[in-house]
Amino acid sequence: MPAKTKNNSFLRNVLIFLSILGPGIITGSVDNDVGGIYTYSAAGAQFGYSLVWTLIPAAIVLFVVQEMNARMGIVTGKGLADLIRENAGVRTTFVIFVFLLIADIMNTTTEFAGVAGSTEIFGVSKYISVPLTAFIIWLIVVKGNYKFAEKIFLIFSLALLVYIVAAIMAKPDWSSLGSSIIHPTMKLDFPTVSTVIGLIGTTIAPWMQFYMQSSVIEKGLKLKDYKYTIIDIVTGCVATIVVAMFIMVACGSTIYHAGGNIVLNDAKDVALALQPLAGALASQVFAFGLFIASIFSATILPVATAFYVCEAFGFEAGIDKTWKEAPQFYWLYTAIVIIGAGIVLLPSAPLFGIALWSQRINGILLPVVLICMILIINKKDVMGKYVNKPVQNIICWVTVTLLVGLSLILLVTSLI
Amino acid sequence: MNIVSNFYLSRILGRKILYTKDGSVIGRIADLIVDRSFKRPKVVAVKLRSGIILDSSLIEIAKEKGQYVFYCTEIRDINLNRDNLLYLAKNIQDRQIVDMDGHKVVRVNDVRLAVVKDGTYMIAVDVGLEGLLRRLGFAKPLKVLLKRFGKNIPSRLILWDDVEAVDAGHSGIKLTKESAKIATMHPSDLADIIEDLDNNSQATLFASLDEEKAADVLEEMEPESQKHIIDSLSIEKAADVLEKMPSDEAADLLDVLSDDVAEEILGEMDKESSKEVRDLMEYPDDTVGSLMSADFVSFKSSMSVGEVLGSLRGAKPEMDEIFYLYVLNERGRLIATVSLRDLVVSEPDVLIKDIMNTSFIYVYDDDPLDSIAEIVSKYNLLAVPVLDKKHVMQGIVVINDVVFSLLQRRKRRI
Repeated sequence: MPAKTKNNSFLRNVLIFLSILGPGIITGSVDNDVGGIYTYSAAGAQFGYSLVWTLIPAAIVLFVVQEMNARMGIVTGKGLADLIRENAGVRTTFVIFVFLLIADIMNTTTEFAGVAGSTEIFGVSKYISVPLTAFIIWLIVVKGNYKFAEKIFLIFSLALLVYIVAAIMAKPDWSSLGSSIIHPTMKLDFPTVSTVIGLIGTTIAPWMQFYMQSSVIEKGLKLKDYKYTIIDIVTGCVATIVVAMFIMVACGSTIYHAGGNIVLNDAKDVALALQPLAGALASQVFAFGLFIASIFSATILPVATAFYVCEAFGFEAGIDKTWKEAPQFYWLYTAIVIIGAGIVLLPSAPLFGIALWSQRINGILLPVVLICMILIINKKDVMGKYVNKPVQNIICWVTVTLLVGLSLILLVTSLI
Repeated sequence: MNIVSNFYLSRILGRKILYTKDGSVIGRIADLIVDRSFKRPKVVAVKLRSGIILDSSLIEIAKEKGQYVFYCTEIRDINLNRDNLLYLAKNIQDRQIVDMDGHKVVRVNDVRLAVVKDGTYMIAVDVGLEGLLRRLGFAKPLKVLLKRFGKNIPSRLILWDDVEAVDAGHSGIKLTKESAKIATMHPSDLADIIEDLDNNSQATLFASLDEEKAADVLEEMEPESQKHIIDSLSIEKAADVLEKMPSDEAADLLDVLSDDVAEEILGEMDKESSKEVRDLMEYPDDTVGSLMSADFVSFKSSMSVGEVLGSLRGAKPEMDEIFYLYVLNERGRLIATVSLRDLVVSEPDVLIKDIMNTSFIYVYDDDPLDSIAEIVSKYNLLAVPVLDKKHVMQGIVVINDVVFSLLQRRKRRI
């Protein structure tokens, strides 16, 4: 019966998709890290629902960049750092290496600060929660294989959807939310423009590109999997902006209406601010989301960095490898986790400064990485017939130009 | 202009190629193309940034003021339609090296090439920190800095013999030996490998090392192999390498070589090193031998005074050497001396054997130094012949040197 075959092939497609999904969803979700959550919360708190629409261009940007990474990884079988070293030379590779290492250690520190902040809401001291989570994520990567780690990461991604719950508990005004998405408006004053820049800018961090491409390779995706990978990426992008949107909604429905006297210095403050406005449970749900996001990115960030360094210098790398097979990879991972967690435990660590500077360094790094990517993806001897087509090139260049411009503006304004 | 015997790829990429005829710039080097059908990859062509490909046999490399300069004698197209070609910058530099099981090991930081008589060959890939720093342009300043602390940047090379380029361009480079064996290559391992190679490739490989490393490797080798290597090097290169070696090692090595070669090499070395080596080579510090000079004037007893004077006029020996003339037999043994005075006052047709003095004073080369001062003052001599135990003449000790040595000792005592 034709219907049954159709049904079967549909089922088969679903199964293939389920087996292929991972890199896109994970990379997208990790994008909602501590810094991201803070940015979305602050935007919601300050502007209500009015800037929710910016998440749509942000999602497109995310998709375009991730698709490039997936395509490069599938076609060449090489990581982004491999390609940069082989095509852009030692100097570019080295510059990225220095900046990425510094920024990622700082970034990991911020993520552990998120762990500390969110668990303190549940009354757990950071001197217990930070070492414990550091040890657990260390175990996942060092002792687990790729499949196991990926499952954990997907659970993390799924868990981030608790922000939907938090938003619903904040009793949003659905109709005004809908109209603000359909009729995007934006005032052209400095706070609004800089927030929009921040919202789109936080979508793409340099290290995500390295993780995305390396995980596509470690998963062993081939050209025949490409169309499913696209679905994976789309799913990731949608999940990412859904989470981001509900974070904005949660804050836009509560803190925004409470007036401007609530100061939000970090993501933990958001959870605390929600307590009187939406109830203790909503606050705890928000904090739980923050906790998940923190440990998630505290895992992926050091992995991405270790991938970059090992690929750039030609060492074996990958979660599927044993410590003996890829010692440099695991040592780097371990060192970054320990340093990041260690700094948070220092009594007077300048966490705010670290967060600011990691953002600035990322702002310098992102243009370098994106321009390398777009130049490499257009090389015939690297990509063969899978180089960008003219339309893709226009989209990619516009995206890259936009992102480069935004990150430079963000960098300059943060320095003034 | 210095002759270049080896160079790193990174140091020549981007360099100008000049047209020999008028010194105009033809272009800058973008890549070197090697042919793998030779036993070792041989450079067959040079690709310029403009895309022009030049026949490398028409290009000469030289070093001027610390920079490499290339001269092209003729601009001629080269037909490169063979399959065995590799582009060093494109296919080798920065590529991944994998072991026999396909595991990643390291990346190629640089490529070492050697210039020998019949062309330029690719010898080894540099996978060490030094190569990386060289590419970044930090290697030289850092080396200077570290030298003050007596340290050096670790450098690691993998011989091209242990490597094969798989599917040029894509998968990278594969090791043909166990990676653990190669990855930790140290001068002493390198020495073993060189000893395994046939003489010809030994020389090529050795030429590819810089003097420091070459000296390290040479030290570790067996005397027989050392001899082969030194014989294969130019006198200048050998002297450069030996200067970098500890003088006792160098002395041992030179002892193995034939005397003329050793002497030539010593002559080429800078004075300080060669003197040290010489001293150590033959005699302990406190023996007569360490003080003696190998330069003296000797004749056969059958010659006439006129012939001897004639040859002295031709040879123009130094003042020090001419106080006494020595008469040797066929085996080089000292049989008599003739003073300059006796020679000058004799008729030209008188034979040496008629005026020579067969009861002369001499010392053995391994006599203690102290003995010589006594002899010189007791017999009022200007120079004393030095013999070995078989009475073969080794040299002379001149009064100046004796005085000098006494002064030195007295200074030390004060």
